[in-house]
Amino acid sequence: MLRGNSIKVKIDRDLHDRLRKVADVAGYATAEEFITHVLEKEMLHFEDAGSDDDIRDRLKGLGYIS
Amino acid sequence: MLESLRRRLFGSRQGEPIVIVSGLPRSGTSMMMKMLEAGGVPILSDGVRSADVDNPKGYFELERIKDLEKETDKSYLREGRGKAVKAISFLIKDLPDDNDYRVIFMRRDLDEVLASQDKMIARLDQGDTSAEQEAMKEAYRNDIVRTRLLCKKRANFELIEVHYRVAIEDPAATARAVNAFLGGGFDEAAMREAVDASLYRNRSRAGGA
Repeated sequence: MLRGNSIKVKIDRDLHDRLRKVADVAGYATAEEFITHVLEKEMLHFEDAGSDDDIRDRLKGLGYIS
Repeated sequence: MLESLRRRLFGSRQGEPIVIVSGLPRSGTSMMMKMLEAGGVPILSDGVRSADVDNPKGYFELERIKDLEKETDKSYLREGRGKAVKAISFLIKDLPDDNDYRVIFMRRDLDEVLASQDKMIARLDQGDTSAEQEAMKEAYRNDIVRTRLLCKKRANFELIEVHYRVAIEDPAATARAVNAFLGGGFDEAAMREAVDASLYRNRSRAGGA
């Protein structure tokens, strides 16, 4: 159950069924809680550039950063 | 939002924008610098990294920008106002907010980018890079999305995306789009002529962007 300031997002019903099953097995209280967790984790890839050591090492090797 | 509106109505108080030619390494940034130079856009470059087999027409780089992540005094970039400067997408986040930027973001098929980078790394003798290709692709995808998000969020940034393959196949349309993005007045014919399709050496079979 989502509380507070939330909005509705439409997703495919079959995908939602799969998410609900995985959320249940993984111990999440609801599918919404699982989806929120997955999305927050995925967002970190885009918002936290500082942690990207793979790119940094490669760019150093190519001579594009010091 | 308000800052963006203010800039549109009253212009910027930060002088002419710096034209940033960006993208992943080996995505066509040097080709775009060559186009801009031919079209009459002044270039800010120190010429330290000279032309080689990977970039026969030159790199158009500024050595100091490679330290952008670490340096605190970035005031030297003001010299780039009204000029074009090359900065890979990873460094866009480190550009200071006391300038306005017009970012020309070069895009290229990631398999082609990685293949070209691997050859360059091999020539530079920087070790084996054959492993972790999928991880690098994922990291680069994230880098691209981050750059787009950042340019949308910061009011002093404007962005145009140019696909390398499209620039090679239709340099006239690319020159037209870039000229319009920069406010017009540059030599589109010279920009078009600067595109050398023979340098498109690492082509993926899929041909996607």
